[in-house]
Amino acid sequence: MTPAQVPWAAWLLFASPVTAILLGFFVLRRKPEWTHLPILASCAIVTASAFALAARVYTGHSFDLNLFRFAEAGTWAIDFGLRVDGPGVAVLAMVAFVGSLIHLYAAGYMKGDPAFGRFFLIFHLFFLAMIGLLTANNFVQLYLFWELVGVCSYLLVGHYHQKESARKAALKAFMTNRVGDFGLLLALLLIVLQFKITHFHLLYLKVASGAAFELLPLIGLLLVWAACAKSAQFPLYFWLPDAMEGPTPTSALMHAATMVTAGVFLLVRAWPLLAVVPGLPDLIAWIGAFTALSAAIIAGTRKDLKRILAYSTVSHLGLMMLALGLGQVGVALFHLIVHGFFKAALFLCAGNIAHALHQPTANVDDVGGLQKSMRLTYLSFLLAACSLAGLFPFGGFFSKDAVLDAAWHRGGGLAAMGMLVAAGSAFYIFRMLFLAFYGCRPEQKRAPHAHEAEPILGVPVLFLALGAAAAGLLKGPIERFVTAGFRGLPSGLPGLEVVLNLPGEPLLPHLNMTVALLGTLMAALGAFAAWRLTMSDPGFDWRWRGGPVEALFDSDFGYKKLVDGFAAAVSRSAGFVGRVLDKGGVDGLVEGTTGFVRAAGGAIARSAQGRINDYLWWMLAGTAILVVRVLR
Amino acid sequence: MSHPLTILWAAPLAGAAVCAFLGARARYAALAFSALFAGLAGALVLTLLANPALSVVNELGPVWAYGISYRLSADSLSIGLIALTAFLNLICVAASWELDVPAAYWACFLALASALTGVFLARDLFLFYVFWEATLVPMFFIIGLWGSSNRLHAAVKFFLFTFAGSVFMLLALLALVSAHHRATGVWTWDLAALDASALGAAAPLVFWGLVLGFAVKIPMIPLHTWLPDAHTEAPAAGSVMLAGVMLKMGVYGLLRIALPLFPELSFSALPILGGLAAFSTIYGALCAMAQTDLKRMIAYSSIAHLGFCLLGVLSRTSQGLVGGTLQLVNHGLTTGALFLMVGFLYERTHKRGLSDFGDLASRAPYLAFFFGFSTLASIGLPGLNGFVGEFMALSGALSVLPILAFAGVLGVTLAAAYALPAFQAVFWAPAGPGSVSAQVADLNLRERAVLWTLTGLMLWIGLAPMPWLAFFEPALRGLVR
Amino acid sequence: MSLTAVVWATTGGLFSFGLAIVVLRRQLLAMLLGLELMLAAVNVSLVHHAGMFDDAEALAVVALVIAVAAAEAVVGLSLILRMRRGGRGADAALLTELQG
Repeated sequence: MTPAQVPWAAWLLFASPVTAILLGFFVLRRKPEWTHLPILASCAIVTASAFALAARVYTGHSFDLNLFRFAEAGTWAIDFGLRVDGPGVAVLAMVAFVGSLIHLYAAGYMKGDPAFGRFFLIFHLFFLAMIGLLTANNFVQLYLFWELVGVCSYLLVGHYHQKESARKAALKAFMTNRVGDFGLLLALLLIVLQFKITHFHLLYLKVASGAAFELLPLIGLLLVWAACAKSAQFPLYFWLPDAMEGPTPTSALMHAATMVTAGVFLLVRAWPLLAVVPGLPDLIAWIGAFTALSAAIIAGTRKDLKRILAYSTVSHLGLMMLALGLGQVGVALFHLIVHGFFKAALFLCAGNIAHALHQPTANVDDVGGLQKSMRLTYLSFLLAACSLAGLFPFGGFFSKDAVLDAAWHRGGGLAAMGMLVAAGSAFYIFRMLFLAFYGCRPEQKRAPHAHEAEPILGVPVLFLALGAAAAGLLKGPIERFVTAGFRGLPSGLPGLEVVLNLPGEPLLPHLNMTVALLGTLMAALGAFAAWRLTMSDPGFDWRWRGGPVEALFDSDFGYKKLVDGFAAAVSRSAGFVGRVLDKGGVDGLVEGTTGFVRAAGGAIARSAQGRINDYLWWMLAGTAILVVRVLR
Repeated sequence: MSHPLTILWAAPLAGAAVCAFLGARARYAALAFSALFAGLAGALVLTLLANPALSVVNELGPVWAYGISYRLSADSLSIGLIALTAFLNLICVAASWELDVPAAYWACFLALASALTGVFLARDLFLFYVFWEATLVPMFFIIGLWGSSNRLHAAVKFFLFTFAGSVFMLLALLALVSAHHRATGVWTWDLAALDASALGAAAPLVFWGLVLGFAVKIPMIPLHTWLPDAHTEAPAAGSVMLAGVMLKMGVYGLLRIALPLFPELSFSALPILGGLAAFSTIYGALCAMAQTDLKRMIAYSSIAHLGFCLLGVLSRTSQGLVGGTLQLVNHGLTTGALFLMVGFLYERTHKRGLSDFGDLASRAPYLAFFFGFSTLASIGLPGLNGFVGEFMALSGALSVLPILAFAGVLGVTLAAAYALPAFQAVFWAPAGPGSVSAQVADLNLRERAVLWTLTGLMLWIGLAPMPWLAFFEPALRGLVR
Repeated sequence: MSLTAVVWATTGGLFSFGLAIVVLRRQLLAMLLGLELMLAAVNVSLVHHAGMFDDAEALAVVALVIAVAAAEAVVGLSLILRMRRGGRGADAALLTELQG
C-alpha cells in the first residue's frame, strides 16, 4: 500500500481539525464567538470519516503504513505512519461520535465565557490529539499524542485559572501524568534499545517469534506505570477527581473519550508485549480490581455530583484494566466504548444541573427533586445510570457482564471483587440519582429556578444516553473489530500476513447465565441499598457525616496525605538544593575565593604599611643578598 | 569571493567598527550588518545543502612563527552553529531595537558574533584560543555596561570564572603542541596534524585540562555558578547570546578537540563526565524549582538542558551525537525565546520576580501564548523541538550506560515541576498586591514577529527534524565509536 | 696592628653605627645624621685606599661623595622642615603615603 492509496477519510481525520484550529486561531481572532463554527464542522467531518474508516476495517480493509521518517541517525531511525485497525478504529468511532456531541454541548454550555475562543481551540486540539493517538502506528508517535493529550487537559482543567483550586488541579493532573510519562519515555527508550524499532506490528512479530528479550519485563512494567497515571489507576489515580475543576464539557470529554481511555488503549496496543511477561497480566488485573473496588466505595460517599462521577470513572477504568489483565482485550475495549457513552451522558447531565442552578458545580446539598423540573435531563440520567449500573438490557449490562465473566472464570479474589464493584456501582449511581432527582430532603436547598436546559444542552445528552442504553448492540461489531486488529493485516508491510499466535482469547465471551444473574443480583442489591439509604431514610446522608469516618473517606483512606507529603518532600528538597546546597555551598565556595584573595592581600598589605624604616629593612636585606652573591 | 570563511567572520567585525563610529544611527548599521552576516551564513548553509559532496569548506592562510597558522574550515557542525549565531544575532538586534543604548551596544553584539564565528571556524588551535578568549570581551561589556542592578559583580565573576577555565585549556594546548614538537621536531598548531600519542603518560592531564576549560563554558556542575548571575544581570539580548551560543562553545570544543584527540580517554571518562551531565539534568531542575526570579530559573534550566546535550555527545553513538548537537540548536531557540520574553517584561516593568506578576494571560494574551509555547518546548513536549534532541540523546546514553539515561528521564520529568508553576504564577494566578502586571502591555508587532520566527522553528524541528538531523550527521559520523 | 686594620675597624664601625641609626631610629633628623655618618665612613675608607693604591680617581670620587652628601643634606633638611611646618613633626612612622 502506498500513501496514495490511503483513503480520503484517513487524511480528513487530521486535515479538518488542523484546518479548523488554524482558522480559529488566525482568521477568527477578532470574532472569538464564532470559533466554534469551523470546529463543529470539523467534528462532523471527523465523525463521518471515522465511521467510513470503521466500515472499511469492518469489511477487512485495515491498513498500516509508514508515511515519513521522523528521525534518523546512522542506523537509528524512527518512522511515523498511520495504523487504522480494528481496536483503533472502534475506539476512534466512539471518540469521534461522543466527542462531537460533547463539542455541540460545549458550544451551548460555554456561551458567553470570556475565553470562549481559547477554550474551543484547546478543546478541539484535545480531540485531535486523541485521534492521533488512536491512529499512531508506533510507540514514539503514540507518545507524541499522549503528551499532547496531557497538555490540552492541563490547559482545560486550568480554564478557570483565576481560581486557585483550578490551578492546583491542573498542575496536579499534569505532574501526575508527567510522573507516569517517566515510565512511558523510559519504556520507549528501552524498546528502541532492545528491538531497534518502535513500530507496533513489527514489535508484535518480534515478540511472537519466541526469542527471549531480557528487557521486556521492565518495559512492560513501565508501560503499566504509564497507563496507571493516564487512566487514573492506583497508585496514580488521585489527579482525576480534582480534574473536574475544568468546565463540565472538559470533564465529559476527558472521562469519556479523550484522556483517561488513552492509558487503557496504550495497554491494548502493547498487549502482545505485555502478555508474554510472566505475572504482568496478573499485576494489571489486581491493580484494576483494587482500584475499581476502592474507587467505587469512595464514590458512594461523595457529595459533589461531578466528584461522584470522577471516582466512578476511576472505578470503571479499573474494570477495564481487570479485563485486560485477564487477557480479555476485546472485553476491555467493549467496556471502554460503552463507558464512553454513559459517562459522557452522566457528566453532561451533571453539567445541566449546575447550569440550571447557575453554579460551576453542584453537590447534593444544592439540589433535590429535579425530576419534575428537568424532565429531559432526568430521563437521560436515568438511561445512563441504568447502563452504568449494568441493568438488563442497557449497554452497561453487556460490557460489565463480559468483565465479570472473565473475572468469574479466574475465580478467587478477582471474581469476588468484580461482583462487589457491580454492587458498588449500582449503589453510588442510584444514590446520586435519588438524591438529585427525587424527594427534596429538608437538608437540601430547594431550587425553585431550576429549569430544563435549552435544546443545545439537552439534545446531545439525550443522544448520548440513548447510545449508552443501546450500546449492547455493539458487541458483535466490536468482536469483529478486535479480531481484525490482531489477526494480521491484509496489506501493508511485508510479513504482516503472518497470523499472530496471541496468548489469551481476544474474542468476547458468550453470555454466561450464572454470571449474568449474579451480576444483576448484585446491581439490584446496590440499587436497593441506595433506595434504602436515600429514600426510606432521607436524612441518612447528612447524619453520618462529620465524624472520623467521613475524614477517612475524604482523604481516600489516608492516601491523599501520603501523596501531598511526597509532593511537599520534593519541593522541600528542591528548596534545599537550590537555596542551601547551590547558593550556599557551591556558589558560596566560588564567592568565597574573593574573600580568600582579599584576606591574602590583607596579610601582605600589613607587611607594607608605607613606613620608611620597613622599606629600609627590605633594602638592607636585598643589599645583603646582593653582596653575598657578588662576593661568592 | 576567494576567502569565504574570512569574509564570514570579518563581516560582523567590520560592522562593529562601523557601528562604533556612527553614534546615534548605529542601530541601522547593526541591523544591516547582522542581516548581511545572516545572509552569508545562510548562503553557506545553502552551498552545503546544494553540494552534498562538498562536506567541508577549507581556507589556509599564512603560517607564522612556531607553526601558528591561519587555518579555517567549516563542516556542517561549524556552519550549523554559525547559522545559529547569525540567526540569534539578528533576533537580538531586532529584539533590542527600541532600547535606548549607545552605539557601543550594537558594536559589542557584532564583535561577539564575529568572535563566535571565529571559534567555530578555526582549525588552528592558537587561532581557536584567540577567538575563544575574544568572545569574553564583548560579553563582559554587554553584561557590565547594560545589565541590571548587580551587573558589575556578575560581569567580573563571568570573566574571571571562564577565564580561569580557559587558562587550563591553554596549558593543555601548550603541552600538546610542545609534546608534538619534541616527538617530531615540527612546530604545529594544526588540529588535524596533532595527535595525543606524543603525550604519553601526560595524556590524561592534558585531556582533563581541556575538559576543564570546556566544562566551565558548558557549564557543567559544579562549575556552573557564574551562569545564573551572568544571565540574571545581562540584558535580554545578552542572555540570548550567552545561552544561545556561548554555552555551545563548550560542547563544540568537546566535539571538535577533546573527543577526536582523545577518543579512548574520553570514552573511559564517560562515567564521570556523563554522570555529571546526568546529575546536571536533575540538579538544574531542582535548583530551578527553588528560584523566585524568572531569569534565574531559566538560567538553571539551561544547565539541565546542556546536560542532555552532553549525555548525547558523550555517548558517542550516532543518535546521541546527532541528538545532542540538535539539542544545542533547540536550546538556543527555546531558551532564547524565553529570555527575550522575560526581557520584554523587564523593559516594561523593571521587574522579573515570579511574585511581581500575575494574571498576564488576560492582560497580554500573545505573551502568554508565546511563553506557554516556549515553556512546553523547553520541558520536552513531543511535537516541539526539545523532545527530539532529548529523546535521541537519551537513547544514545541508554545504549552505553543505562543509569545515565534513567537519571536523564527523571530530569525530563522534573522539568515540568519548575516550568509550569512559574508559568501559572506569572500568567494564571490573580495579580497580587504590589504586582506590576498593570504596566504590562501586550507584545507589539516587532516583538511578535521575532517570536513567531522562533516558535515556528521550534515547531518545524519538533514535527519534521529530519532535514536538521541529516544536516549535522555527516560532520559527526567520524566521532561514532 | 697595621694602619689598614685600624681604618677598616673604624670605618666599618662608623658605617654600621650609621646604618643602625637609619634603620632603627624613626626620628627623621637622626636618620639623616646616620646617613651622613655612613657616607663619611665610606669617604674615610676611600681616602685611605686611594693612598694605598695611589689612585687619583678614587680621590675624585671622594669629592663627588662629599657633594652628594651636601646635596642630600639640603634636600633632606628642607623636606624635614616642610614636614614640621605641616604640623606632622619629624617622625618617619607618620610618612605612610607610599602605602597608596
